Amino acid sequence: MQRRPFRMLIVLLVVALLPAAAGGAPGRTPSNVLVIGNYIQDMVSLDPAQGFEFVSTWVIEHIYDTLVEFNREFNRATPGLAASWTASPDLKTYTFRLRSGVRFHSGNPVNAQAVEFSLRRVMRLKLSPAFIVTDFVKAETDIVAVGSDQVRVTFNQAMPETLMASVLDNPVSSVVDPAVIRSNAAAGDPEANKWLTDHDAGSGPYVLRRWTRNAIVELVAFDDYWRGRAPMARIFIQDIPEPTTRVLALQRGDIDVAMGLLPAHFRAVQNTPGFVVKQTPTFSIRYLAMNVGYEPFASRQVRNAVKFAIDYEALKRIYQDAIDVGQTIVPARMFGHLPDRPYQRNLERARALMREAGKEAGFRATLAVSTEVPLPDIAAKIKEDLAAINIQVEVQTLRAADVLGIYRGRTHHMIIARWGADYPDPDNLAKAFADFDSRVLAWRNQWDHPVKRLVQQAVAESDRAKREAMYKEIQKVVLEEGPYAIFAYPLRFAVMRTTVKGVDPSPLSETFDLTNVSKE
Amino acid sequence: MWGYIVRRLALASLAIAGVLIIVFFLSHIIPGDPVAAILGPQAPNEVIEDLRHRYGLDRPLHEQFFRFVARLARGDLGDSLATHRPVVRDLLEFLPATIELATAAILIGVIAGMGVGIVSAVARGRPLDHAVRFFSLIGLSMPVFWLGLILLYIFYFRLALVLGPGQLDIFLTRPPTVTGLLTVDAILARDFAALWNALGHLLLPAVVLGSHALVGIARITRASMLEVLGQDYVKVARAKGLAERTVVLKHALRNGLLPIITVIGIYYGGLLEGAVLTETVFAWPGLGRYATSAILSQDFAAIMGVTILIALIFSLANLAVDLAYGFLNPKIRYE
Repeated sequence: MQRRPFRMLIVLLVVALLPAAAGGAPGRTPSNVLVIGNYIQDMVSLDPAQGFEFVSTWVIEHIYDTLVEFNREFNRATPGLAASWTASPDLKTYTFRLRSGVRFHSGNPVNAQAVEFSLRRVMRLKLSPAFIVTDFVKAETDIVAVGSDQVRVTFNQAMPETLMASVLDNPVSSVVDPAVIRSNAAAGDPEANKWLTDHDAGSGPYVLRRWTRNAIVELVAFDDYWRGRAPMARIFIQDIPEPTTRVLALQRGDIDVAMGLLPAHFRAVQNTPGFVVKQTPTFSIRYLAMNVGYEPFASRQVRNAVKFAIDYEALKRIYQDAIDVGQTIVPARMFGHLPDRPYQRNLERARALMREAGKEAGFRATLAVSTEVPLPDIAAKIKEDLAAINIQVEVQTLRAADVLGIYRGRTHHMIIARWGADYPDPDNLAKAFADFDSRVLAWRNQWDHPVKRLVQQAVAESDRAKREAMYKEIQKVVLEEGPYAIFAYPLRFAVMRTTVKGVDPSPLSETFDLTNVSKE
Repeated sequence: MWGYIVRRLALASLAIAGVLIIVFFLSHIIPGDPVAAILGPQAPNEVIEDLRHRYGLDRPLHEQFFRFVARLARGDLGDSLATHRPVVRDLLEFLPATIELATAAILIGVIAGMGVGIVSAVARGRPLDHAVRFFSLIGLSMPVFWLGLILLYIFYFRLALVLGPGQLDIFLTRPPTVTGLLTVDAILARDFAALWNALGHLLLPAVVLGSHALVGIARITRASMLEVLGQDYVKVARAKGLAERTVVLKHALRNGLLPIITVIGIYYGGLLEGAVLTETVFAWPGLGRYATSAILSQDFAAIMGVTILIALIFSLANLAVDLAYGFLNPKIRYE
């Protein structure tokens, strides 16, 4: 009687494992195909006028072209669809001469009418990324096609070259095919926004073959691309939301490149032969902000005491070295970056400053932080650091949405937050952190400082050297008097097999230029 | 019988309506601004206000509820704040993957679970029984995501016995969509390469997801079988000289099925709600991930859509279980 149940069990086991023989052993990916593992669930749209998420903009950058592009140091504009350009003396009007012979994936010509149509469409749709254009261009009529090969853009302020490129290299300024848009427009959707969300109207190096939500994006190289066909014939971006699974897939050979891994993962992979890790600082910042409207923080000495009390090296360890310790508001690799790091943990100076401010008895303050790893640990360490100068911190760990609500409502005492540059120009950071009138971070922290006038001048300064000096001055002022303790410039990592060449992670976003990638 | 079904459906709609009201107002009571959260910390105020207005989120709460009900009557669940698409489209896209995974999981749970439970009951008290119960307890105690990662490591990475994350190898073309279930569509299209591949991807997540159901079903099967095996008619059957297998499977199991069916129905309904942890670990594009991200970002339309769907599924599962009773036990009649 005991043998029968046993036999049944064995039979069950075999039946259960039979499908496991399905599919066989997974192979390496073919040499003309690149597979990237990433998290694509937050992709909303591939319409350049709407897509604003990391992976969306990455794909858009490869399906479409823009008038100009950036060089690797982000301090010069380079030709894109525009072969050359001239600027008016007041730097408000730029005239672009388009290169000839460029065609869309549909075969239609890329001409000045297409550029005019694309930029005006962004302004008409007024979706999330539109502000990048509309902050600097007031009316649709400020974008004009002159003949079929020239486009004139009139900005509402003087635009130094890098600022102009920040606007016109941004994926939102991609040139779309007007004929394709018009033929797919519908009654409730005159700009074909719904259609373009998961279709292709571009001229870029890759053609969108499909986007299956929460699953995969497939790109195919465009044979007639004006710069020549890209080396990788097909590119897949596969959705693998769990970082550990991404590592396993990379090691198994099912994917070639893995993005967005945790520090522990890529340290493990780094020491495995056959894999390599590439990194870059990103144009983003993690910082502690103090609300100047909360009485103790109205005093500059108190604010600087906090900056001297924080143990920056310990915070770097919490991040497992996945950050650069930077303290200025213009991050590394960006034009105008000031590499000063005047603040180290120095309890004596911190206490002296508190005495100067008459606050040596200390005070209470709340610290709002989101649940994003490892920020709660950062908050706990800061709480410990500030206890040494008698500041009793109460940490409030909340959902990201709630933290944002508090911040915008200006009801916080202290807050740990992040800022990522929308475009690679220091104006983006200076305006947010130092210009009260722009109603962003300086406003949220109620820090109204005369340096805002310097910010407003610097954006229009045409002399590069003078402009750089102004941003360095702004950063010095923010360091000495601002309500921010900046503790991290996060690094971006990409892990890949050694056979993948040409991956150069960008500081600007999740992207790297796929047209340079090849496999040996 | 049909009258019974109609009455049950009417009751179910009442229950669903109650759930809708509660979930709607609860999800709005939670503080936080979903529009600002979705657009991110750097979005300008005008863009936030514009989006809020477009989705009618600046109207008073009761007005929003009435608009919701009015749209619901037309079969329109509104647009998701996160995907900017009709919620109905989102649900139709992600539900089949969840149905496929849940069905595979429950099949594993039923076949393996009942098998284990019967074996355990028949070999009661012996080492086999103890071993089975021991491993069941371990299986139940393991968190699903941990089990998933461990099994992925062993069977996908080390042994290469199963395929990796996702539903289908990226190089294969999906068979034409008829039901939305990959395996069924592959069979319908006679695409056996795709079918084999889909099964290879389906096996491990189904095992992981089905593990808790497997253990639960095994335990109730064991308990039910033990009770039935102690009955007089089983003694009579054995005394008549019937083969043990016939006694156990034909006579005992048949009579012990009622509680087992109940548990299976409950588990299936639970699995159909989508299992976000399993879906995340195995990159399965199902309802669990969609529902979870909707809840975390307070995407009201999506939350309500998912709630309706889950309430519907649960009601139907309960109804199916009740009807199965009538089928199994001729003494139960429904009027």
